[in-house]
Amino acid sequence: MTPSENSEIKAQSIPEAKPKKREKIPRQPMPEQAPEDRRHNFDEVPYGYTPELAMLEASRCLDCKKPGCVEGCPVHIDIPGFIRFVKEGKFIEAAQHIKQQNALPAVCGRVCPQEEQCESKCILGVKGESVAIGRLERFCADYERNSGQVQLPEIPPKTGKRVAVIGAGPAGLTVAGDLIKLGHEVTVFEALHEPGGVLMYGIPEFRLPKEIVRAEVAYLKRLGVEFVMDFVVGRNCTIRELFEEEGYHAVFIGTGAGLPSFMGIPGENLVGVYSANEYLTRSNLMKAYLFPKYDTPPIKRNKVAVVGGGNVAMDAARTALRLGGDVSIVYRRAREQMPARAEEIHHAEEEGVKMMLLNNPIRIIGDERHRVVAMECIRMELGEPDASGRRRPVPIKGSEFIMEVDTVIIAIGNQPNPLIPQSMPELQTTKHGTIVVDSETMMTSVPGIFAGGDIVSGAATVISAMGQARTAASSIHRYLSGEPLKKSQQ
Amino acid sequence: MNVVIDGKTIEAIKGETILECALRNGISIPHLCTHPALPPFGACRICIVEVEGMRGYPTSCSTPIAEGMVIHTQTEALRLLRRNILGLMMLEHPSACLVCERRELCDKYRPKSEKVGATTGCHTCNNKEVCEVRELSADLGLAEIMVAPKYHYKPVERSEPFIDRDLNLCILCGRCVRICKLHQGKSVIDFVHRSSQTHIGQAFGKNLHEAGCTFCGSCVDVCPTGTLSDRYAKWFGRPDAEIKTTCIYCDEACALTIYAVNNKAVMAKGLYDHLPVCVLGHFAIPEFLNSPNRLRTPQIRVNKVLRPVTSEETVQRCAELLKNYTGTSFAFICDTSSTLEDRHVFKKFTQEVMQSPYYFEIIPDKKGYAKVANIPEEVKAVITTGLFIPQEYRNRFEVVIALDIFPSEWTKSADVVYPVATFAETSGTVLDRNNQLRPLVKACNPPGEALPEWSVIQQIAKTISENWKEYTSVEDISRELGFDSAKLNLDRSSAPPASQNLKERREWFKGHCMENYVTGLVAVRNFEEGNPHEEKTSIKIEVNIPENPEHFTVLSRRELVPNTYEFVIYAPAIARKASPGQFVIVMVDESSERIPYSLSDWDENKGTITLVIQEKGLSSRKMISVMEGERLAHVVGPLGTAFEIKQYGTIAILGGCYGIGAVVRLSRALREKGNKVIVISEARSHYMAYYEKELTAVSDRFIQTTIDASSGEKGHAIDGLKRLLQAGEKIDLIVAVGCPFMMMITANETRDTGIKAVCALNPIMLDGTGMCGACRISVGGETKFACVDGPFFDAHQVDWDEVRDRREAYSAEEIQAISFTMPSTTIQGEHHYHQCSCMGRG
Repeated sequence: MTPSENSEIKAQSIPEAKPKKREKIPRQPMPEQAPEDRRHNFDEVPYGYTPELAMLEASRCLDCKKPGCVEGCPVHIDIPGFIRFVKEGKFIEAAQHIKQQNALPAVCGRVCPQEEQCESKCILGVKGESVAIGRLERFCADYERNSGQVQLPEIPPKTGKRVAVIGAGPAGLTVAGDLIKLGHEVTVFEALHEPGGVLMYGIPEFRLPKEIVRAEVAYLKRLGVEFVMDFVVGRNCTIRELFEEEGYHAVFIGTGAGLPSFMGIPGENLVGVYSANEYLTRSNLMKAYLFPKYDTPPIKRNKVAVVGGGNVAMDAARTALRLGGDVSIVYRRAREQMPARAEEIHHAEEEGVKMMLLNNPIRIIGDERHRVVAMECIRMELGEPDASGRRRPVPIKGSEFIMEVDTVIIAIGNQPNPLIPQSMPELQTTKHGTIVVDSETMMTSVPGIFAGGDIVSGAATVISAMGQARTAASSIHRYLSGEPLKKSQQ
Repeated sequence: MNVVIDGKTIEAIKGETILECALRNGISIPHLCTHPALPPFGACRICIVEVEGMRGYPTSCSTPIAEGMVIHTQTEALRLLRRNILGLMMLEHPSACLVCERRELCDKYRPKSEKVGATTGCHTCNNKEVCEVRELSADLGLAEIMVAPKYHYKPVERSEPFIDRDLNLCILCGRCVRICKLHQGKSVIDFVHRSSQTHIGQAFGKNLHEAGCTFCGSCVDVCPTGTLSDRYAKWFGRPDAEIKTTCIYCDEACALTIYAVNNKAVMAKGLYDHLPVCVLGHFAIPEFLNSPNRLRTPQIRVNKVLRPVTSEETVQRCAELLKNYTGTSFAFICDTSSTLEDRHVFKKFTQEVMQSPYYFEIIPDKKGYAKVANIPEEVKAVITTGLFIPQEYRNRFEVVIALDIFPSEWTKSADVVYPVATFAETSGTVLDRNNQLRPLVKACNPPGEALPEWSVIQQIAKTISENWKEYTSVEDISRELGFDSAKLNLDRSSAPPASQNLKERREWFKGHCMENYVTGLVAVRNFEEGNPHEEKTSIKIEVNIPENPEHFTVLSRRELVPNTYEFVIYAPAIARKASPGQFVIVMVDESSERIPYSLSDWDENKGTITLVIQEKGLSSRKMISVMEGERLAHVVGPLGTAFEIKQYGTIAILGGCYGIGAVVRLSRALREKGNKVIVISEARSHYMAYYEKELTAVSDRFIQTTIDASSGEKGHAIDGLKRLLQAGEKIDLIVAVGCPFMMMITANETRDTGIKAVCALNPIMLDGTGMCGACRISVGGETKFACVDGPFFDAHQVDWDEVRDRREAYSAEEIQAISFTMPSTTIQGEHHYHQCSCMGRG
């Protein structure tokens, strides 16, 4: 049953409960595909709430006077506000309410680490389980999209100011959405052939259906955002030229962290060793899993080792599993130190991904045709805490062992893409290659040029990129309106 | 009867030829047009000998042996004559590789032939690994091509079912013409036209089907060159196993050889010299067995959906489901495509374990169509081994267990689906139409977790009944049945009917319509219905290109030299910023791969870019199929770090193959900066050389080299450079742009000169902006990304073996992709719209 088929459901169907009674309602789980089924397909894992479940879950919200959840949200969505609409069965209104602060609710409802953000601040979470804010957000966005009733907000008259957004990822799309609604003209430049950035190439279909990303982009297009694909700023033109020749008044750089890190161990250039970026891009953006309908061949192998413990490692492992491999995650620290969301680790294990914790690869072994046949690892133990506060893994002497693999996927992180900083030396960067910005305004060392997302913070999350992008968008608006950029200057 | 051959007295048999007598006695005489299946012909004259007392040099293949003959087969005069005869033959065959001085090195660096559109040399010839011409030329010591060879510029014919035909490789030995006459009793193909225009073809320009071809494939089997090839098999390389088995598509039970690579069937041939096999036996086995649609995993129904599970769980579920259906409520339905051993187990299972009288063996009709006629009403549970029961009877059954090879409506509604091995994936015995036992021999592995049918049923039997007597192998069953004496059907006296009349072919196997899984059969059907597929040709059609074309419109497309095309594309944003050495990434349509191509030229004012593209695989084939006025989906660039244009002194730029395009602007820019630029461009033969005028115009000196010395100097570009250095030319920088082999030899052979050498690498890429790392390579022990750090690197520091192997990373998948897409318009399943006789039932 799709939500739209059930749109006649009204608030009356769930009686208004008194707060005390409400607390007795448990947090509603989301129905999802059984692990045994989903490990064989690329369909999305959770089916999402039904309207009934959504209203039931919404009824748990206490509607606090000082809502902690809003504080916990990087883009400050009025969470109690939209949940109020859900309680009343006004799902479309709820979705529109979210969209005032968040241009991509269907995406964020799926990929945000809510347990560390809004939901971690929910008062219900202190004693029991917090309101499932992410699931409700996802429900509202899906409901609106499936209803075909996506409404466009009123857009103020054109300001005549033009903004160039570089990179159509989460940060770029957010900036574009915010600024178009303020009456500015926005052009988004994207190097790849489809907008969406990491939402398109990185996050797998079973976690974020690409139709959703396309729908979000289509929404921005309807608002009037112009998308220029196959355009590499730094190659096709410089940022200087965007100002001087193309007549843009401000530029936002949201080019992300798209330079894969490798371990620097022997054998990393063997055939069968992939960066997670490559592996995931082949599957997600190039649709290799639909080969031969799509021309890019998939990487179907038998024994796959994924190196790393983050969300990207989980995505790569679960993709490899779906392509028919026997998949192990090789991670040098312990489970508690894994940076991936608990939910992702859980999903991966449920589907049959093996966890080889406290193991570190030291060498990849190939045959005479440079094809991977094995990987040598060493066992680790936890030592003293390091700079990140996590206990440092230390190799156990003499514990080397060889595991038979034919594919190794390196998912140990990304560095910022150097293309733009290289093409504009006056742009200040850190030694890590990230762009230096004023954290209050997100403006770079060059006036009129703003930046946000992974190109500023290094590899982080979709929502933190969007949070920075929102800050940047409001600064850009002030900049274009001739207002002081900082509140302190007002 | 005694004769003397090369001083040895030999007993000859009356009626044999000199060649037959010599070969029988272990004396080898080089020969080419002769084939064991064919009567003497004497066309190529390679097998000439000297016979004392006879004038001239008779051909040993057509001269009958006679009492007292004194024959010499290896005189110096004969060797010279034979070499010259081959040399003359090679004037109309892409022969440069045969006389290449680096032939061994090339074979070592690229042992397997690389796929390509039109073959212009050995390393891109599908026949390379089994080529008789190559062997002969090595034996005869062919070292030079005497005059400039001729290339016929015939388009490669790829629109016929199953068979690719590249007449540019044909040496007119006539084997195909003769075998066609012998096997078909008529000449579907024959020599067409006369003298220099002679070629193999069908009369009046008919297509093969119109000319009466039955696609028996015998012509492909006997072709000594790469002219005629099995489209599916051609790029898999040399088979690593050959297994003789019996064809079970029909009860003719022809003996076949199945050729396998890595336990995967890739090709099949009849085992008869004197008779053909039918289209199915020759062409429809590997593609059918390797179909991506095959069932791979056992599945059971859980909460209304089929869920893949382990084989143990599946068997357990079968036992649970069947336990309430013993007696007449159970039926087993199979057809005679299962082996006798399989059927023995089915019957035993039905009668002993299920205690049911209802064991049905369907005998397929002439078309192979096997559907059950009637099943008693009382039957509530069935096991089937194919798609035998019309879907309308589905509701009569409470339990359906489907052992099958392909998914269908039937398997989709089954309670249990078990994938099974079939045909060449399994062993056993079958009965032919004359009630003779014939062996079926396993030649390749079944897909995924598929198992032989008998073994699946035995597992279920064991789970249900403790009394089941277990068979340890199929041989175990054969022995019990007394079938171990089955022999291949080697002494057929008449050709199978379908090999003589295409309409006699079977269309069904195990209840499945074969056209769903074998693309060539769809093409045959289309021919039969008068809708032949025609490949886009390069015939120029006047195209009006608008004043302001859309981005990425192809403004001009021409074939520069065989298999190499020049495209001019409207892409102003790229043209405005392009610099020498940079590249673009192209996607032909939204489902394409992203493929990097070097920028050859650009025009900022017109907003155009020029690319030189060689047809290699699926993506480049898609690219060269784009015609003037059509639009590419995506072109992004300029990418990569441009060549640093500064004062170097004297620069030698070596270009080869598709790399020659990129040399033009590089040379011009370096020369304008005040460098002395010597461009050395290599080609296999004169007809492969291009851009001579353009390169002459932008260089201080232009040298053309050809491997067969048919134009300019002999050898590779590096040979031209070495001659320059020997002559005392002082070179400050060497730049090599070409295929990895060309750049590798340039690097290796300049290592000791102390001159810096730079190469341009083009590995596999996705985004081209540093995001994926697919293009990484080792340079001087460091990892570099060719897309952003390159394409230019120190040639002496590059790991060339790694470059080659990383380029080949997807070759197996690419070969598979090609087989899926040919003929490109007949995609799988589409035949339903053309009213195949299966009417959608398959």
